[in-house]
Amino acid sequence: MSRPAEPAAGGARLALEPHRPGPARGRAAASRRIAILGNPNAGKSTLFNALTGLRQKVGNYPGVTVEKKTGTCELPSGARAELIDLPGSYSLHPASPDERIVRDVLLGLQSDTPPPDLVVFVVDATNLDRHLNLALQVIELGRPLVLAVNMMDSAREQGLEIDFPALERHFGVPVIGISAAKGDGLGHLRRLMDREIEPSARHFRQRPAHLQRVLDRLEARLPRHERMPERARHDFALALLLDDGEDDALARAVAPDVLDDAHTLARRLDQTSPGWRSDDVEGRFEAIREVLAAAVVAPGERRDRRRDSIDRVLTHRIFGPVLFVLLMGAVFQSVFAWALPIMDLIDAAIGAFGHALEAVLPPGPLRSLVVDGVVSGVGTTLTFVPQIAILFFFLSVLEDTGYMARAAFIMDRIMGRVGLSGRAFIPLLSSFACAIPGIMATRTIDNRRDRITTIVIAPFMSCSARLPVYALLIGAFIPNVWVGFITLPGIVLCSMYFLGIAAAVVVAALLKRTVLRGGRPLYVMELPPYRMPSWRSILVTVRDRSWLFVKNAGTVILAITIVLWFLASYPRGGADVKALETQHAAALAAGDAPAANLLERRIAGLSLEQSFAGRVGKFLEPAIAPLGFDWRIGVGLVTSFAAREVMVSTLATVFNLGNADDEVVPLRQSLRDAIDPATGQKAYTPLVAVSLMVFFVLACQCMSTVAVVRRETNSWRWPIFMLVMMNALAWLASFAVFQGGRALGLGS
Amino acid sequence: MNERRNGSETDERPLDHLAPGERGRIARIDAEPGITRRLMELGLVPGTEIEMVRTAPLGDPLEVTVRGLHLSLRRSEAGLIHVAPR
Repeated sequence: MSRPAEPAAGGARLALEPHRPGPARGRAAASRRIAILGNPNAGKSTLFNALTGLRQKVGNYPGVTVEKKTGTCELPSGARAELIDLPGSYSLHPASPDERIVRDVLLGLQSDTPPPDLVVFVVDATNLDRHLNLALQVIELGRPLVLAVNMMDSAREQGLEIDFPALERHFGVPVIGISAAKGDGLGHLRRLMDREIEPSARHFRQRPAHLQRVLDRLEARLPRHERMPERARHDFALALLLDDGEDDALARAVAPDVLDDAHTLARRLDQTSPGWRSDDVEGRFEAIREVLAAAVVAPGERRDRRRDSIDRVLTHRIFGPVLFVLLMGAVFQSVFAWALPIMDLIDAAIGAFGHALEAVLPPGPLRSLVVDGVVSGVGTTLTFVPQIAILFFFLSVLEDTGYMARAAFIMDRIMGRVGLSGRAFIPLLSSFACAIPGIMATRTIDNRRDRITTIVIAPFMSCSARLPVYALLIGAFIPNVWVGFITLPGIVLCSMYFLGIAAAVVVAALLKRTVLRGGRPLYVMELPPYRMPSWRSILVTVRDRSWLFVKNAGTVILAITIVLWFLASYPRGGADVKALETQHAAALAAGDAPAANLLERRIAGLSLEQSFAGRVGKFLEPAIAPLGFDWRIGVGLVTSFAAREVMVSTLATVFNLGNADDEVVPLRQSLRDAIDPATGQKAYTPLVAVSLMVFFVLACQCMSTVAVVRRETNSWRWPIFMLVMMNALAWLASFAVFQGGRALGLGS
Repeated sequence: MNERRNGSETDERPLDHLAPGERGRIARIDAEPGITRRLMELGLVPGTEIEMVRTAPLGDPLEVTVRGLHLSLRRSEAGLIHVAPR
């Protein structure tokens, strides 16, 4: 028997043995590992949900953003099985990170996920030939496998007859019919999952002799992997031969010279026998055709009429795009309309909690740290959650019903212009609400380069956090005059949104032509059948996504909030602040509330000016003066790293307006009246306002975005690239606007 | 694979030249080897019947169906798949 020497082998029996260490741990360690595998849309997840119920959790495979779904399931013997829902795949020779995980788990190359003791391979009874392509590849690997022929209810309706014993004879594995959605055949499946299954000894490969010789040669040089069945070594060798040079897992699994040799051998084969790369696929489909001709009676042509009629509307030349725009409009309207009150509620709750703490804790640095650092950091993280949850709710519904693929189908032409696929559209659109859920939504993009490009350009979409800044500056400096049928403030606001889009297009084009250039990917995508979504699995997705964000990005956001708190609070004010504090105490004692209030604002303003943040602002002044910004804006730029809209409250503090919520109107006046002490002239002009808005459009200021990019790309490379590139671009653009504007005489 | 030789070379057309609703058999795929392999893994092996279902609203990509699988395929790639009449 070629069962790998895993501690959990034969776990169903081990669990019954008398001496196991701790009850819970012992059982968990000894439980059987069963993988559910199949093509996309084979009904894998339905089966997984039916077998595990709610006992499932979603995590990530280390180093990639592929979701790892695991759960537990009780077997008839009373033993527990640990189920893993592997991503849907078409082939063992991967074209996406999802498929790479499947191959690595099955070959035993995935260090965090030991190979399964049993594979339950799910195929769609109504599309057997296509689904069997991967099934046969996995059977050949020599792993114990049960073939579950799903959707038997529809197959019977169509009059399809399947000779299961014949399939078992041909494939050498147990084959059963199930209907996961209805629960039919699951009892039989559970009983099989409890049994020891012998791996099949069948071969379906028909390789030409020359290819076989090359594979044998390569195989002999491969290192021994204890988790890899003997027969899988052959497929491992083929994987090396087909490698495109970008597969990190393969590069890690063998010595560099072996991989180099494989590449050389592949190039030689390309010359001597073109077509070798796909010969085995043709051979396999031929073998499948022969088996099915003997074992399946198909009723002939059938058409999914429901699908036809839905598609005729949703992808109609005119109605399709119109419905798409309406649907997207409705989704984003809901995100705004539903998330805002919840965000306000969270803000209020966090504020109230902060006040409550202030009442309990003695005044001093600790209280300030807890209230202004920790609590506000947690608050910042939590205010993102409603947007993430609501957006992912809609995105999962669109994905699970099958609409998302149609949306990508409709938008592909437009996105193709910038070198991306239709799949990039929705993440970018989401980024107008907030780049964070937008970036998290890029996981549906298969191609790594396209995904990274989409992530890098997503923050150029003007998010809702920039709106308060635009509103403040436009309100203060742009005269409300009509230009034709639209007002000047409207034009300026619109231009800011378009500037972001233009920057995104240019950066995407540059990236795709330079660092992210590569072999032309195959833009092929399945348009799945329409389905009713499973509300339970949608809620699980929403819960897991939100939690992943809080856990991973939240810690970084918290850390940076504390750093910013420190920068804005230390060092404590000097003698002049002390003097003001004495006056403040005196005013309070005298019961002069207006004077005390005024002094309080001046203390806040002066303390901020003398803090590290204030000093950084002043230190930055020479660097930002050419953009028309003074140190006060510099302080705002520093604190806006916590969140862009913090700019507004920072400016309010700097201008001694206190922290009241109704500061915007007086703040506009203060900005208009501000004087540059060096020249005695107005410090800010409409030109400065435009320059500052341009800076806000292009700069990467949002640490939460940086944290999420770090999380989603699994390296610091891209977040750092984004910080440098976007801020350099912002500086240059603002420089061009301010200096160009001055040269044109617009400076006053 | 006899079907492959049924139609003469001149009867073969690139897949993107088929009208919506028109069908044919895949004769050959002229793409680079990696892409050819991928298309075959999806079931687009020579001899298989394929139907051009519709074009996207903006004219590209195309929806084709093969072995019950509906695929979105760009014209540039569909043009590499040559189809013979049934």
